[in-house]
Amino acid sequence: AEVEETLKRIQAHKGVAATIVINAEGIPIRTTLDNSTTVQYAGLLHQLTMKARSTVRDIDPQNDLTFLRIRSKKHEIMVAPDKEYLLIVIQNPCE
Amino acid sequence: TRFHGNLRSGRWELVVPRPPLAAMFADGTVPGSDVESLWRSARSARCEAKSCQTGKISTAETAVQSHTIRDAGVQTDQSKAAVQDFQQEVQVDYASLLSFLQRVEDAVIKELNRNWKSRAFDGFEVNWTDQNETVLCLHTLSYPEAQDQNLQVTSVSWNATGSVVACSYGRLDGGDWSTEKSYVCTWNLDRRGLNPERPDLVVDVPSSVMCLAFHPSQPSVIAGGLFSGELVVWDTSRTEDSVIWRTGMTDDTHTDPVYQVNWLPDAKHGNHSRLLSVSTDGKILVWREERDGRLALAEGFAMVAQQVPRSMRLKKFACGEAAVGVTSLSFSHFDPCVFVVGVEGGYSLKCSIAAEMPALHQMGSSVPLRAPAELAFSPHGGPVYSVSCSPFHRNLFLTCGTDGQIHLHSMLQTQPLISLQLSKKYLFCVRWSPVRPLVFAAASGEGNCNKCFCLGDVHLFDFEKSSQKPALSIKQAAGEHPVYCLEFNIKQTRLLAAGDAAGTVKVWQLSSDFTEQGPREMNHLEQLASEITD
Repeated sequence: AEVEETLKRIQAHKGVAATIVINAEGIPIRTTLDNSTTVQYAGLLHQLTMKARSTVRDIDPQNDLTFLRIRSKKHEIMVAPDKEYLLIVIQNPCE
Repeated sequence: TRFHGNLRSGRWELVVPRPPLAAMFADGTVPGSDVESLWRSARSARCEAKSCQTGKISTAETAVQSHTIRDAGVQTDQSKAAVQDFQQEVQVDYASLLSFLQRVEDAVIKELNRNWKSRAFDGFEVNWTDQNETVLCLHTLSYPEAQDQNLQVTSVSWNATGSVVACSYGRLDGGDWSTEKSYVCTWNLDRRGLNPERPDLVVDVPSSVMCLAFHPSQPSVIAGGLFSGELVVWDTSRTEDSVIWRTGMTDDTHTDPVYQVNWLPDAKHGNHSRLLSVSTDGKILVWREERDGRLALAEGFAMVAQQVPRSMRLKKFACGEAAVGVTSLSFSHFDPCVFVVGVEGGYSLKCSIAAEMPALHQMGSSVPLRAPAELAFSPHGGPVYSVSCSPFHRNLFLTCGTDGQIHLHSMLQTQPLISLQLSKKYLFCVRWSPVRPLVFAAASGEGNCNKCFCLGDVHLFDFEKSSQKPALSIKQAAGEHPVYCLEFNIKQTRLLAAGDAAGTVKVWQLSSDFTEQGPREMNHLEQLASEITD
């Protein structure tokens, strides 16, 4: 459906290694990785996103988290948060 | 009657005889009035006075001394990771999922684009751990009894947890059928009372042990291949007889020394692994465990010269029916059916477990032997003593031989990608690093050379720094003893064990630049692998 097309567009972007969609409870809904890696990413990033969001709101209650990026030696992990879902994209930057 | 005027009231009043004034005031005392306190009495009516006293505590003095002592070891077992399948239970509301994706798609694409073009992090590196600049020798382990008998270390192996190193003593240069006793010694490096001259366990073996391999998941099980062609499996946690399986001398056993033994994970039979042995009689045999402690032949391969696939550059071999002596073997980390062998003739071969073609000469074995070779690679100038498949790339492997050269091959072509002349000495062992895709180690020694540019015995190569000469050469011992074997520790990735002909095993701790993966290493490796010439 259109859901798959949108995800394909994101996955086809330059350097994207993986795309994962998880719901508000941290359960993966769509993924391009294998099961065990997906479950690992989903659990860890869900917790980290909740922590990041509470950090932002504790400092300023009128503020809220819009985007989360983690830069590591090997790649960059981007998380787009929402009330019901979380979109995780892993990109290998060009170097 | 008489009237008088009352000054106060202003009227005429009748005169009345007045009483004497003094009688109006008199001194008197009035007893005070008492009000009884009610609350105090009420309160005391509700309270009672009590007392208590702790009883006498009895004490006694005694002394305790343990007079029996027992040593026990504990080992955790490998846990089975259970990953549930998540696809079944989740109810997805596609409408809301679609609207979510439409909302975030633009933002995500914008960030991806920006990231792709960004130069913000170029050259930015973070150090999380203390950088260890030097390579040091952590332990020098030896077994003096074996050294007194002039035995050499023929093989080293780390166990599944990375804390125990085992070495086998034997002779690599004993050409004839020797009945020399040999030893298998283990040291637990994490133990506090580590004595480098006293191994934790010494197993006496009636014949010379040529190779060792610890079980990949059971930390106490170790297999060894003997000079007599037998295979023996020991369990180091048993205090009495530690032999649990052996092949014995049957018709199936190798007729030449076993130079390499490997454990194969057996996917069909659950956790039971099978053993694979390689010998210069040309046979590669797979053994399975049976009851009563015997190892029985499950499958076998025979390398016969005729069946070696010819490639353009190889000259024809001498006698077509000669068995091809196999000296080393390495399995591909990516495809469990593919393995590479190195042979005495100097070339290396790509083989497959799934090969169907039967071998030309059955050599009287109980299980039909098959011919596994699929592709022959360009040869060395002398026998190949060691091959190693890369844990990071499915097509790359290294071979080393007595001509002092190391070849980096891709499985896709017969010519080596890179050919390094390391020294004039023989090279006995080559191993890829388990953490850095571009690093490998080689062990050298012996050979006639009056002058060589690298004096060391253990060489560490880093393709990132230089593809011609070693990044580091370590001298193992003061004398001219060749290093016969080396192994990286997969769990404690800084450690490298090397065994030499003087009978010592040295455990080296590598510096950080050999153990930390750089960000572009995989790309570099892919580039190396794709320089294929047609």
